[in-house]
Amino acid sequence: MARRTLVFAALLLALALALVASLALGAVKVPAREVIDILLGNGHGGPDQQIIESLRLPRTVEAMIVGAALGIAGAILQGALANPLASPDVIGVTGGAGFGAILIIILFPGSIALLPVGALFFGLLAATLVFAFAWSGRNRGSTGKVILAGIAMLSLFTAGTTGLLAAYPERAPSAIFFIAGGLTSSGWQELETIWPYFAAGFLLAACLIRPLDRLALGDDVAASLGSRPQLIRLAAGIAAALLAAASAAIAGLLGFLGLVVPHVVRMAGGTSSHTFVVPASAIGGAALLAAGDTLARTLRAPIEMPVGPFMVILGVPLFLWLLRKAV
Amino acid sequence: MAHGEGLSRGRGSLWRTHGPMGVAEGPPEGPPAPAQLLEAHGIEVEIGGTPILRGADLGLKAGELTAVVGPNGAGKSTLVRAVSGLQKMATGSARWQGREVSEMRGRELAGLRAFVPQRMPVPAGVTVREAVTIGRSARLRPLRRLAAADHEGIARAMERARVARFAERTLTTLSGGELQRVQIAIGLAQEAPVLIADEPTSQLDLGATIGVASLLRDLVGEGLAVLLVVHDLALAAAIADTVVVVSEGRTVATGAAAEVLSAERLATVWGADARLSAREGRTALHVAWLREQPLGRPNS
Repeated sequence: MARRTLVFAALLLALALALVASLALGAVKVPAREVIDILLGNGHGGPDQQIIESLRLPRTVEAMIVGAALGIAGAILQGALANPLASPDVIGVTGGAGFGAILIIILFPGSIALLPVGALFFGLLAATLVFAFAWSGRNRGSTGKVILAGIAMLSLFTAGTTGLLAAYPERAPSAIFFIAGGLTSSGWQELETIWPYFAAGFLLAACLIRPLDRLALGDDVAASLGSRPQLIRLAAGIAAALLAAASAAIAGLLGFLGLVVPHVVRMAGGTSSHTFVVPASAIGGAALLAAGDTLARTLRAPIEMPVGPFMVILGVPLFLWLLRKAV
Repeated sequence: MAHGEGLSRGRGSLWRTHGPMGVAEGPPEGPPAPAQLLEAHGIEVEIGGTPILRGADLGLKAGELTAVVGPNGAGKSTLVRAVSGLQKMATGSARWQGREVSEMRGRELAGLRAFVPQRMPVPAGVTVREAVTIGRSARLRPLRRLAAADHEGIARAMERARVARFAERTLTTLSGGELQRVQIAIGLAQEAPVLIADEPTSQLDLGATIGVASLLRDLVGEGLAVLLVVHDLALAAAIADTVVVVSEGRTVATGAAAEVLSAERLATVWGADARLSAREGRTALHVAWLREQPLGRPNS
């Protein structure tokens, strides 16, 4: 228990540091003390406060929400499907969202404001198709059927995306930022549209923590305790689809985060209890994405790079170090 | 505790039987008949188009241990899963205290019976106390935290299942026997009047089997009703008040072990030349291991 408390404290510290760094660093550097004063409502006005409040704060909040959402999506999917390789990829969301976004970028470049809606719509559509196939016929809702239907849907939508890029190669460069994954400094506008999907996903995920712990003891024990295993899996899939599709709408394709963060917190905390793993994945994901985004926009400022590769650079060494210790 | 202590303490069929079992001492006269908790009739189950149960019956009384026995593939586990609400029935009726199992919600069923599977998955890093706490969650409303009474219930379940002394160990470090008792503790944390255990001793060594058997018998002594699927006929005869024999999807006999596990039935149901004996608190199955199967039973 002490180990888990320690990991939680470390994650919260990392989140606080990432928050301050994300607000302080960029093309214009703002001293950390001033950042904290502004956050506490003791700012003195001026350009620094304006940069932080109108540009960096929305972006940092987006990074933290998306990071938390992807961390939770991975944690609940891995728990519900009892599969360490589960992530939003395996329920088709990533493939669908990628197709939806590229469709807008390639075919409707004049309506780029529709990109988040396209990503969200096709992400949820792909997940719906996965659930529809997985919950039909024999062995309805079995883990194997969900994963296989998800991989089939991922392949289908990825083929669609590749086809679009091949058909319009001159427009492909504008799609790279979305595919690699990255945040923008566009204020609160995107969050204002997408937040209900995050809210529904977070709420459903919170309600699933206890049922997922029951499911970890097997379908029979879960059923003995009054739960319906297939319903838990379906609800976990819906929550993960909402969170991952909403994340893709804001930050592009960041599949790595949803796969790796739950493993890292599980190995660091030494437990697979969802009471620990789900909230710790949320904090860890938020800290990792906020830190990765800060690196992505400061290393070659004022040029911004996609956050996806930086997150991988930050996360993989830690993951491999923990993996070596665990095995 | 010493192995075998529970067997000699309980009031299983050894102490209620006559004739070939060799012991003729009955329970004291006078106590009222135990209440009927479960009445199941004509249960039929199909899995993937294959009929598994073809009209099985099962009953369970309060404060009694009923053992379900039968050959491999007879439908024992399917029968207890069906009456537990874990397996959908094609036809038939399973009533818990008068209420049909298919009409009850999961939470309501969880208050009536706890189901202990043969072997549960063992999640990494989860301690015994945490696992039993998960069992207690059956009594909690969603998002509601544990109250003092729940912590007491968890401690009580661990004490009753004799797992309290290793409550802080993780499940992955436990032996097979310890893990089986933890599974029973998870069921006890539900505080349901019935515990249903599906072959809890099938993967255990002799000592661990005796430990689980004596635990189940002691729980019955505390007033719990236990429904037990078991392969070991000598064990069933030692600890069960009632033995139900299932064969080819049907219930073929119900009663005291001495009555239903006769040499003739062992021959017709299991295809074995064998007889069961009980003497001085011990039961044994005497089998002619290398003799031709008398009735040529196909599935050995």
